[in-house]
Amino acid sequence: MAYLELKNVSKSFSNVTVVQDFNLEIEKGSLVSFLGPSGCGKTTTLRMIAGFEKLDSGTIKLGDREITTVPPNRRDIGMVFQAYALFPNMTVRENIAFGLRMKKAPKQEIEKRVNEVLDMVRLQDTAKRFPHQLSGGQQQRIALARALAVQPCVLLLDEPLSALDAEVRVVLRGEIRRIQSELAITTVYVTHDQEEALSISDKVVVMNKGIIVQVGTPEEIYRAPKTRFVATFIGTANQFYGEVSGKDTVTCKNIKLSVDGLKEFNEGQQVVVLVRPENIQVQSEHHNRRNWNAIPGTIETITFHGAVTRLGVNANGQRVVADITVGNTQPVSLNQTIWLSFPPDGCQVMAVTE
Amino acid sequence: MVMLKKFFRKISDWSGFFPFLIFCLAFEAVPILVLIRGSLIDRTTHQITLQHFLDLQGRSYINSFINSIKLSGLTAVIGVILGTIIGYAIYTWPSERTRKIFITLLNVTSNFAGAPLAFAFVVVLGMNGVITQFLLQWLNYELYPGFSIYSFYGLVLAYVYFQLPLMVLLILPAFAGIKKEWQESARSLGANSFHFWWRIGIPVLMPSLIAGFTLLFANAFGAYATAYTLLQSQFSLVTLKIGFLIAGEVRGDPGIGMAMAVLSLMIMGISIAAYQVATIRARRWSKS
Amino acid sequence: MRKKPNLIGSLPNKKSRPTGWQILLIAFFLFYMLLPIVSTYVFSVATRWDRTILPEGYTLEFYQRAIQTSYFTITLRNSFILSMATVLVSLILIVPTVYWVHTRLVGAKPLLDVLMILPFGIPTVVLALALVQVYNFPPIARSPFLLIGAVVVYSMPFMYRPVSNAVQAINIHTLTEACQSLGANVFQILSKVIIPNIMSGILSGSLLVFSTVFAEYTLTSLLVGARFKTFPLLLVEYTRINGNIAASFSVISFTIAWLASILILWAGSQGQRPSKNVTRS
Repeated sequence: MAYLELKNVSKSFSNVTVVQDFNLEIEKGSLVSFLGPSGCGKTTTLRMIAGFEKLDSGTIKLGDREITTVPPNRRDIGMVFQAYALFPNMTVRENIAFGLRMKKAPKQEIEKRVNEVLDMVRLQDTAKRFPHQLSGGQQQRIALARALAVQPCVLLLDEPLSALDAEVRVVLRGEIRRIQSELAITTVYVTHDQEEALSISDKVVVMNKGIIVQVGTPEEIYRAPKTRFVATFIGTANQFYGEVSGKDTVTCKNIKLSVDGLKEFNEGQQVVVLVRPENIQVQSEHHNRRNWNAIPGTIETITFHGAVTRLGVNANGQRVVADITVGNTQPVSLNQTIWLSFPPDGCQVMAVTE
Repeated sequence: MVMLKKFFRKISDWSGFFPFLIFCLAFEAVPILVLIRGSLIDRTTHQITLQHFLDLQGRSYINSFINSIKLSGLTAVIGVILGTIIGYAIYTWPSERTRKIFITLLNVTSNFAGAPLAFAFVVVLGMNGVITQFLLQWLNYELYPGFSIYSFYGLVLAYVYFQLPLMVLLILPAFAGIKKEWQESARSLGANSFHFWWRIGIPVLMPSLIAGFTLLFANAFGAYATAYTLLQSQFSLVTLKIGFLIAGEVRGDPGIGMAMAVLSLMIMGISIAAYQVATIRARRWSKS
Repeated sequence: MRKKPNLIGSLPNKKSRPTGWQILLIAFFLFYMLLPIVSTYVFSVATRWDRTILPEGYTLEFYQRAIQTSYFTITLRNSFILSMATVLVSLILIVPTVYWVHTRLVGAKPLLDVLMILPFGIPTVVLALALVQVYNFPPIARSPFLLIGAVVVYSMPFMYRPVSNAVQAINIHTLTEACQSLGANVFQILSKVIIPNIMSGILSGSLLVFSTVFAEYTLTSLLVGARFKTFPLLLVEYTRINGNIAASFSVISFTIAWLASILILWAGSQGQRPSKNVTRS
């Protein structure tokens, strides 16, 4: 049952189309991320849901109410901004109470509710402080508390963690997800950080240049990207260009690769084979495994990422990225010749159209 | 040995500052100190006395202070209110090019003060002034003798002319400090425009408004040329009285004049200090 | 992509046209600011203008008479001399001091800031009174040199702020250290690197001081008076003698200030970096 529904929503700014024909249904209580590069229209769409931008065409429905022309202060939404928008002249308590005061709630109810949300974000002892006395992460949690205090129908977050340190970001996104699922509040979350989107969302909406490219669960988006853009925007993917040369073979330069999923393609068609670095096994010698592809190459770069070490390998003139984990017993060194092997079902084939 | 080296280093560091310090001493510090001393010393007995300050209780002196404070306070209040409203109108003007023209106009007109300004107001609102004629001939309204440009309220009009641009230029950057996100947050929480300004906008602007008031007050209090051109001896202001003393037009004990000057300095000092404090508070909020 | 202005007015109903209130307020503002100026200009070319809304006739006679008054050239010359001298003294006094404080005596910066605010707190008449009391001995008593000292004090903040802003904008410490690491001495650092980079501030400051001093009346009339008549003194004198000629003087004085303002704006824009565009998706 769609709780928040956008139909044919479009928006242009001085002749530049920023959002085009946006259609989406969001279930009640789910957390949906809008994910995409800068300029893809995700924030504009969010702001249209909030009411801060007018739609050029289309409709937005919340529950059974059409809110397309309703002003933002009557849409019953809660919003968290990228730049912490806490009112500097008010204490934390006064900030959180603001929405309730606008609703003219009785004093005791306001007291009670403010304490409730402060508990929720675990910042009970900051009630009397002013925003400039809090850290960035704390300010964002208070901003979240303030948005939730009025129990809105929808929670909208516009890149809420972009301005924070990396470790704070990881902790805070977990907190946001925890609170969101505890309250079962319908949430739209805008971000350009795919790790963020993948780790907390029920559904991810991948956007590029104003249109929706793919909608799916995080697993679907990662494992079954529908376009080259999604495949390369989410995670890393090696791209081998070539043409279909058989029932299950693609010839890339002079190498024949065994791949799955060639049913929709014709013989001789130009395609690109996508292989993720974690699907590639690195070996010092060529072990002939049935069906597996094996390419030789020279290690050009070794980058240590903690749990994973990323190798940049020169294979036949092309740079291939392969990940090896700590468990990998074989030592690697620069300029070493190694074999990269990957199975056919670790490949994804896509047509070259763009 | 190291201590000695450090000491010499410090002296040489400060020596570069000396020329400026000496200048300030010669033309600011020493004269002011002499002034303060002069106000506390009896000319004949050469003994410290508060008599000069006590003499300020005389009718004409009290009047001049009351007039100066009334004039400064009134023009400061008018300047702050008008300046803020007009400043907001300029700040939210949709065309950026036009906005820049307005700001240029502000900078240019802030030069037009003193005697030329006073004279211009006579041209406009004098007995035969442009507006005076206009009111008489088109609206059948006789401005004079009820109103005179050579009076307190005439002076107020002239003073507001140079107070206004000062306030607008001061408040414009303060508007920039009011973040769009605050307005949008407030709206998403159910507030309308009035609620926003009343609970958030104006409180955040308040330090700037206070800074504006104190600056405008000090500016008006110390003004001389405009008043001199318009009033001469018809009306007493502190600055005019001190000016007459220097010009030798008024016979009297210079001690009183110096007491007036010292009292003026104290009033100005309080204003400027308040201005500094308010400005620091204003900056603090624009950082968060 | 699109540059979003940080206007607090840009909410859902984005106005590309000003509201009625705005137009009303701005109209009032323009009227109030421009009427005195325009009236003065018109008055200076009017034959007679004391009975009608618009002048009865136009003439350039008053400008001719203005230029021919006995003190015209002398006072203009004196004003220029005073202004230039003040600019020079200010530059020599303030620019090196600002540089010095920013590089070798950073602890004195608060003191310098306070000293530069002080002139705002001293009314010109009070300064005049104090100076007259102290320097009442020849040769400095009532001399142009005393006046220059007074006017330099009066105009210090106007030179200081642009120069100080310019110095702070160029991260002077790093520049100086870079120069030193490349082998330059203090003089070379100043002349070849520092001064060219703060030139916009120096120009702004100089022009501000020039135009402020050119229009200065109080200190000049109280400290030297007729001994060194400047243009503003002549103007005030004629407000009591002949209004039309006084108007001509007003126009001349205002036009000079107006030109200086334009130059100030031009000078200020010379040193600006291109602003960044913030894009949003």
